[in-house]
Amino acid sequence: MITSLAKMIISSPLTTMAQSASTQVAVETTMKAIGRPGFILIDNNIDPDTKKYAVAKEFLYQATCLLLYMTLVVPLFKEGAFKIGPKLFKDHAADFAKFKSANDYYKYRKYADKPFESDRVVNNKIDRLFNADLRKELKTKENPNLYTRVKGTIEAGNILGSVLGLAILAPQVSHAIIHPCLRALGMEEKKSAKAKAKIDTKA
Amino acid sequence: MNFTNRLGKICDALGTNPKATYPVMLIALVKGICRPTFTMMDKTEKPETKKYTALREGLTEFIAIPTYLVCGEVAARIAKKLKFKNVPPDVNTSLVKRASKNMMFIGVCTAALFIIPALCSVAIKPIMDKFMPQKPKNNKPQIDTNMANKITTLNKPDINSFADKSNPIKPIYNNRNIYSGMKVGGV
Repeated sequence: MITSLAKMIISSPLTTMAQSASTQVAVETTMKAIGRPGFILIDNNIDPDTKKYAVAKEFLYQATCLLLYMTLVVPLFKEGAFKIGPKLFKDHAADFAKFKSANDYYKYRKYADKPFESDRVVNNKIDRLFNADLRKELKTKENPNLYTRVKGTIEAGNILGSVLGLAILAPQVSHAIIHPCLRALGMEEKKSAKAKAKIDTKA
Repeated sequence: MNFTNRLGKICDALGTNPKATYPVMLIALVKGICRPTFTMMDKTEKPETKKYTALREGLTEFIAIPTYLVCGEVAARIAKKLKFKNVPPDVNTSLVKRASKNMMFIGVCTAALFIIPALCSVAIKPIMDKFMPQKPKNNKPQIDTNMANKITTLNKPDINSFADKSNPIKPIYNNRNIYSGMKVGGV
């Protein structure tokens, strides 16, 4: 069992996920969307109606964050950083030019992390996916060039996008989305004209 | 050293040794500052509600920061104790390194799924009660029965109180029968 667990820990899909900040943040947000409402549900000190409302609100908030992050932040900042990289770091521009996109780099990195003899020397996919330079790196060198500056630039873009997207943009967007959704679900009532009038009088 | 060189060094560090804890901690930090600020800027909410919500949001994120760090590092240290059988020592080292990074990621996910929500549900309420004691939720005014009795007694007209026993001179109204000729519905 321990051997299978150790194999799972060093598995290639998990390594790929753990290497990219965008995947990490997406998985972490998914965990939050499950964990936080889950813990509200099992809390016996909250009354059932409040519990339902809090669960729906928290889930909708995290779901909005995830959706916004995956559709807007990841493509924009990941690819944006990859495009800005060669202009910022002119001495590394040749490294950036070897890849078509940020995703192309991650594909290369996935193969570069695989064992040399068993997975790289004879692999037709490598021939199809990469240009001559990258093919040479993967197929002839046991420790291929990892192009750390390229990876670091993409990661920096991912982190910047994650922070701006999740900490600044998502709360604003979710604030606009959550209340109409909760009203549609029947969990929140629209303020009546009478209530509004009352507030106005007090103001 | 100019800006580009500094940025290059940061990018190199992120490219060489990216840790799963970096982005999540940074997000939690910025969220811990921005979310309460946005809440306090909301003009539609009552000031008390705003303060309560802002404090709660801030606390959640500031509990999350050390939790991510501790969970990630603990998981990475567990992975460093792993030994892979039937592999040469250098391969074992690289596998342990990979396992350590992956375990850090698993640690962060575990923190987000279980540990942070659990810590928040345990720790936030006592902290909130300490900083912002809430008014009782029950809208019905709590009646102090003793006080209620006193009020009832005060409201009852005491006939005897009309006569001041300490005063030897009796008031005029005390000499006459005030109830004579009283009609139903008024004096």
